[in-house]
Amino acid sequence: MTLDEAVWGALNEAAALYRGNPRATNWLGHQLERFAEPVRIAVAGQQKSGKSTLVNAIVGEQIAPIELSDGTQVPTWYRDGAPPRASLVTRNGAAQDVPVDRVDRRLRIDLRSWPPPQVERISVDWPSRALRGATLIDTPACPPSAAERLAREADAVLYLTRHLHGTDTQSLESLQHPPLASAGPVNAILVLSHADELGASRIDALSAAKRVARRYRADVQVSPLCQNVVAVAGLLAHTARTLREHEFGALSALAGTPRAALDGALLSADRFAGTDFPAAVSQEIRQELLNRFGVFGVRLAVTLIRTGCHNQAALTAELVQRSGLAELRESIGQCFTERREVLKARSALLALEDVLRMEPHPGAARLTAHLERVLASAHEFRELRLTAALQCGRTTLPDGLDLEAQRLLGAAGTGVHARLGVAEAATGSELRQLAVDVVDRWRVQAENPLFTARQRQAAATVVRSCEGMVARLVAERG
Amino acid sequence: MTAPPWLELLDDTIRACAAHARPDLAQRLRRQRARLLDPALHILVIGESGQGKSQLINALVNAPVCPVGDDLTTTVPTFVRHAESPGATLVLDPAALTPRTATGALPALRRVPVPIDEIPRQVGRRSGAHRDAELVSAEIGIPRKLLAAGLVLIDTPASGHPHTRPAVDSLAALDQADAVLLVSDATHELSDTELTLLRRVAATCPNILVVLSKIDLSPRWRQVAERNRARLDSNGLPVTLVPASATLRLEATRTGDAALNQESGFPNLIGLLHQEMTGKPDVLARRSVAVVGGSALAQLVVTLREQQAASDSSPASAALADRGDVQRAIDELRRRSTRWQTMLADDMADLVSDVEHDMRDRTRKILREVDRVFDDADPVLSWDAFEDWLAEHLADAADTNFAWLVERSRWIADRLAQYFPGRPGGETSAARLVFPEDLTGGVGALERPRLERFTAGQKAFTALRNSYGGVLMFGLITSLAGMPLLNAISLGAGAAFGGKGIKDEADSRLKRRQAAAKAAAQRHVDDFFLAVSKDSRDTIRRVQRTLRDHFTALAEELQQALVEAATEARRAALTEAAQQERRQRQAQQGVAELVALHQRVQSLAGQQAAPQHHGSLEISA
Ligand SMILES: Nc1nc2c(ncn2[C@@H]2O[C@H](COP(=O)(O)OP(=O)(O)OP(=O)(O)O)[C@@H](O)[C@H]2O)c(=O)[nH]1
Ligand SMILES: Nc1nc2c(ncn2[C@@H]2O[C@H](COP(=O)(O)OP(=O)(O)OP(=O)(O)O)[C@@H](O)[C@H]2O)c(=O)[nH]1
Ligand SMILES: [Mg+2]
Ligand SMILES: [Mg+2]
Repeated sequence: MTLDEAVWGALNEAAALYRGNPRATNWLGHQLERFAEPVRIAVAGQQKSGKSTLVNAIVGEQIAPIELSDGTQVPTWYRDGAPPRASLVTRNGAAQDVPVDRVDRRLRIDLRSWPPPQVERISVDWPSRALRGATLIDTPACPPSAAERLAREADAVLYLTRHLHGTDTQSLESLQHPPLASAGPVNAILVLSHADELGASRIDALSAAKRVARRYRADVQVSPLCQNVVAVAGLLAHTARTLREHEFGALSALAGTPRAALDGALLSADRFAGTDFPAAVSQEIRQELLNRFGVFGVRLAVTLIRTGCHNQAALTAELVQRSGLAELRESIGQCFTERREVLKARSALLALEDVLRMEPHPGAARLTAHLERVLASAHEFRELRLTAALQCGRTTLPDGLDLEAQRLLGAAGTGVHARLGVAEAATGSELRQLAVDVVDRWRVQAENPLFTARQRQAAATVVRSCEGMVARLVAERG
Repeated sequence: MTAPPWLELLDDTIRACAAHARPDLAQRLRRQRARLLDPALHILVIGESGQGKSQLINALVNAPVCPVGDDLTTTVPTFVRHAESPGATLVLDPAALTPRTATGALPALRRVPVPIDEIPRQVGRRSGAHRDAELVSAEIGIPRKLLAAGLVLIDTPASGHPHTRPAVDSLAALDQADAVLLVSDATHELSDTELTLLRRVAATCPNILVVLSKIDLSPRWRQVAERNRARLDSNGLPVTLVPASATLRLEATRTGDAALNQESGFPNLIGLLHQEMTGKPDVLARRSVAVVGGSALAQLVVTLREQQAASDSSPASAALADRGDVQRAIDELRRRSTRWQTMLADDMADLVSDVEHDMRDRTRKILREVDRVFDDADPVLSWDAFEDWLAEHLADAADTNFAWLVERSRWIADRLAQYFPGRPGGETSAARLVFPEDLTGGVGALERPRLERFTAGQKAFTALRNSYGGVLMFGLITSLAGMPLLNAISLGAGAAFGGKGIKDEADSRLKRRQAAAKAAAQRHVDDFFLAVSKDSRDTIRRVQRTLRDHFTALAEELQQALVEAATEARRAALTEAAQQERRQRQAQQGVAELVALHQRVQSLAGQQAAPQHHGSLEISA
């Protein structure tokens, strides 16, 4: 029985147990629906950390934020769905469709007739490939105390911060849910947002930001709190994905200006938007470029055009790549969408606990305990737990074995290629051969007399992962 | 040269703290005093991570003295001050790594001179830590005109970053600072955590500048500056906000570009620093004293008011409570004394009738016995024995009756004593009753009745009288039958009649004797009863008098004591009220003095008042 089946079965069993109880039945009904949905990813962080911008960057369109009539925000859910549609959920749970509109390439929802205190959340259906694998929740800035609730509503969290602060680590800590604490950081990615500004907008700012991210990834205080740390320049990524022709034209004009003349004008935002300017680009357009790209974005785009990105598509691709968005999407894939099963199982378990707390029932208590055991022993969870233990040094393996173990456990991607660390081009037979070799090598390690019991156990988990791979490869051939 | 007014006020405040038993506050103020008298101006540069604190200092002194980096960089406070030639010192604390030596003595801090260009590596995040000691701070000396007048810039580790050790948190150094520069970059508005930090700083150090750094990077820095100013104002933090860009300043000094220098905002910033510098002995010191002195005084006043409130709300004072008790006791005593007096009268009346009734009952029983005895016995034969018997029984009856009286009297005395609970006199009162030894003393001896005997002559006479009648009657009857009057029959009948006459005569004589004896006994018993009941009444009256006198005396005594207590209580209440009033006046005066001092201290801040904080608002109300 797969994990999926076990959880599905448990949820249905619970629904049967609570048949006479409308409140619990309603709640469990939601959970069953939720189980079938794509992963829910909440985008969270302190004020102005770039949450809405990041949602736009991931979707590739200007759909966030959606503000209430007083300028405040409520959690806004973005799901894949056509035609575009929005509904508003009020505090008393009623849902109400509201008209959507696209003005000036951005999503507009008219909420003027809704008193802000009444609105609990907004749900938007938007046709987008990016939303097919995951539902995104743009959240308003929340204090650490509210983070736990977030962790229940969402299956996974992208936590944004500009400079790491104590409040951020507190929030991340409360995302870790106690019952599964032993499962390690299964559901959070820390995003160093405004990566361009993190590197002070120097031309190497993004690589500097990536270095910082790498340092945090290995940091003993941070690594237990999240699965990955990625630096992303959200504004740049969003602008790149929605690059317009006249913007490219203006940037090209700037790139054509003699470097010595332009450098002085790029010294500060004030100078760039000032009246005395060496290139034939109107002040208005320059101001727009600043708003869309930021100082760093302009500097980078000009440099890229000068060094070879001669068309809009090439510039877009290069900017997206450098912005860190590509890395983030990859990480979301590895950590969240590919691990959908585990994340959903975790959410279902939390939901069962909730229903049990609200409406105690002996049968349900047994059920929850059973499900918890299933989860704890599920190989997917073991992989996550071991990966986390290796990453934060709770478990160590000698001689670079730990890096290989992490890869085989799926830390860099759960696909066979990623696990084996080979190019996508590798053929089936090559893969099979490699996988069998790896299994043999790790079987030896699992019985290594020089290892501690814990290390041997870790090796055994790796063996189990590799055996799974071999089985999949054999099945594919057959 | 006379001391400046702020110094006098600070000294007054220190004295007030000492006087109100707050040596801790006094100690802190003394440190501040020493700092304010020091001509050097210490400026603490604080802020969250990566806001450009270190770069700001570098741009001010135009030298890369502080480490600058994208991530958390500065790890310990770094002091930058004037020196004739460039040099640097690391301050190391061996104790941090080697926990106390056996003797418990802490090894002293170690100062290690290093080349100035070593500093960024040492103070920076990836410093090659000293193996045996922990770096606690760094000091840099550099020849600069800006610093020559005594300006000391203190770079601090980021506040709020999870990696910042609490021990080196910038707030720890706050006591040493004359002024604080909070650095917040222009790419964002002041965050909640930065505002919290500012509020905490303002409570200790009122001289704050907020530097809006990195204005070169933000197209919207003017909006951000406006929003920040509004936010600071609405948070009761009227501090100056200075936009600046270290990058532009460094670039301007490198290229000698005056316009760029102006754009960097540094001339403005340096101007403000100079102003602080020259204003230190006056404006700055006054503002500092206003805040630190003000907050210390506010604390004193709050404590004093709390104490006052506590003493006010405590039960109206013991003496007053006593006084109420005494009054209540007197009233109670009054109520009781009417009650016990009626009770005494009633009980005694009851006692009289009860005792009399009892005695009558007993004498009646004796008389019945006497009757029974003299129905058969001939008083002539048994009189002497009877006399003894009667005397004994009467004495018995009187004794028992008397014992009962005594007992009842005691019981009544006890009952009365209950009206005087807790009074030792109450219980013993019954014992003090004096009873006569003997009650029957007044009754004379039983008087012997005159008892007639039946003599032989009287018998013969009686027989004759009776036989004559018999002879006559039978002679007449027989004469009717022809017989002579004196015939055998009539003589026989006469003899029979004579015998019967003698017997009848003897019987009636006995009866008379018996009646006489009964009457004598009756008379005697009546006399006895009267005498005894008179004695009883007398005794009871005496008992009543004794009891009344005793309990009246007791009540008077009690009342006297209570009245004395009441007077005493009244006197105590008066003195206590006077004392309390005096204390209150003293406390009020103390508070008034403190508030006056507080106002004087506050007025030091002048018009452009120091940031308000809770204390000042509360106590000026
Ligand atoms: N330079 C730069 N600016 C960015 C970046 N991401 C967002 N911003 C800017 O930061 C500001 C806030 O961005 P938002 O996306 O609205 O941030 P948010 O976290 O949703 O804000 P709240 O919902 O209000 O808490 C906007 O002005 C964005 O243009 C970035 O990566 N680089
Ligand atoms: N463009 C620009 N960048 C600046 C400015 N000031 C500082 N920076 C950059 O901002 C980053 C952080 O500067 P630091 O001076 O190290 O910041 P800090 O506040 O001391 O940081 P910590 O020591 O980590 O707390 C560095 O990359 C600096 O180059 C400025 O005025 N303009
Ligand atoms: Mg937002
Ligand atoms: Mg620094």
